[in-house]
Amino acid sequence: MSQEIESRMRAALRPVAPPEDFSQKLLARVIADRPTLPKPRRIFSESARPLMWWLTASLAACLILAVGVQRHLEQQRLQQSGLEARREVVEALRLTSQKLNLAYEAVKNQSTSLGDEESGV
Amino acid sequence: MKKRSLPIFLVLLAPALAWAAPNPKLAIPEFTGLAQKATESVTITLDPALLAMAGRFLDGNDPQDAATQEIIKGLRGIYVRSFTFDKDSAYQQADIDAVRAQLAAPGWNRLVETHSRKTRANVDIYIMVDNNQAIGLALIASEPRQFTIVNIIGAIDLDKLHKLEGQFGVPKLDIDLSKTPAPGAQK
Amino acid sequence: MSDGSLDLLDDELAKARSGERTALAVLVQAHQRAVYSLALRMLGTRDLAEDLTQDVFMQLNGNLGTIESNKHLGFWLRRVTTNRAIDQLRRRSRLQMTSLEDEQAFFSTEDDADPMLQRHLRELLADLSPPARAVLLLRYQEDLDPADIAQTLDMPINTVKSHLKRSLESMREKSVGMQSARCEDSST
Repeated sequence: MSQEIESRMRAALRPVAPPEDFSQKLLARVIADRPTLPKPRRIFSESARPLMWWLTASLAACLILAVGVQRHLEQQRLQQSGLEARREVVEALRLTSQKLNLAYEAVKNQSTSLGDEESGV
Repeated sequence: MKKRSLPIFLVLLAPALAWAAPNPKLAIPEFTGLAQKATESVTITLDPALLAMAGRFLDGNDPQDAATQEIIKGLRGIYVRSFTFDKDSAYQQADIDAVRAQLAAPGWNRLVETHSRKTRANVDIYIMVDNNQAIGLALIASEPRQFTIVNIIGAIDLDKLHKLEGQFGVPKLDIDLSKTPAPGAQK
Repeated sequence: MSDGSLDLLDDELAKARSGERTALAVLVQAHQRAVYSLALRMLGTRDLAEDLTQDVFMQLNGNLGTIESNKHLGFWLRRVTTNRAIDQLRRRSRLQMTSLEDEQAFFSTEDDADPMLQRHLRELLADLSPPARAVLLLRYQEDLDPADIAQTLDMPINTVKSHLKRSLESMREKSVGMQSARCEDSST
């Protein structure tokens, strides 16, 4: 169970992107702070490309294998969460209606006693 | 107005405009001290994602679930805090006053304020209306051994709420939004 | 991250150190998600997270000469972000959540998102002390092992492990509570 919880926490805590406008302002501000110097010649590593392809393909294969097991666990987990959320909605509405009923009873009793007073006049 | 002053004017005005927009979400304290004294406590925090998830698990073929689905469709949040104690006066009105004070803010209208000698229960119901539509509901119920705060955010359809009559035991409320009273007018 | 991409970022770092602005932009873009997410989940609100993220990268600007590699850069950014956040939190009482809009951006919103777990996680983060919160985030957001967390936060490794153990226990309790409710629902 610990592993599953940890895996779900990792999923929830995947980094989120900052808002787009903030991101652009950040870049502009940080870059503006640096002095400009001549750009050195960029050397691209051609020999790195086949290695990259192989690593990517291996990673994809591992992911495909893992997805099947993970999907089953996720379905179970989502069902638990959904039932809990449903239970809370029902409880919230039940409590709300209970208190609305208190108000209704008070108003009704007041109307009844006012009616009794009027008929007695 | 000089050209240079206009942007400054708008910048100064913007926070005021943002502040003026009604916000139906209350800041409800955790009441940790009271929770420790309570024999029962209910804390429900349902944000839009949880409401959407709950909606998917409600059975449309079941009348109660279907009615619940209809209610929560337009909602963006349901927040409940309820504490029950084993003796009278275990909590102070001051504990709830921090929430009550927020309902004096512009936008909130007191719909109903009831005091029952029989049950010794006080129930206040507030509603926030924008463009003739309810966008928030706040309910504070204080009883000798229990208090409950409910805050519902979103497009509350009061017609659908009172169609739940008999489902959750919700009474017919006879509320006409076009006659929403001015703040403090309802007694 | 594969060796190929790490080499590229090491190259970018070298260029940024020598003043090349586009290289600096690449580094900022590569790390801003992690820094921003750490700041957001430590401090609880978008505004504070944006301020902290900006401060961290401005500080980086003045310290680029001391960064040896992209891996070191990652370590440096995490360390500075968490330390600054802990300092800020010590001056405030509690993690504060503000608007619903901010809450929605707090966690990953990919397809496998679990709103119930996210709510439990948010409650847990709010309850944890700032250092314990940092430990949790470095473990589950940044995927650091306890030894790296200890080094990042200048904390004894046993303290790190203790924080992790307690956090996991809290999450397990919340999940067990959920499962009991599920049994109730299934039986009705």
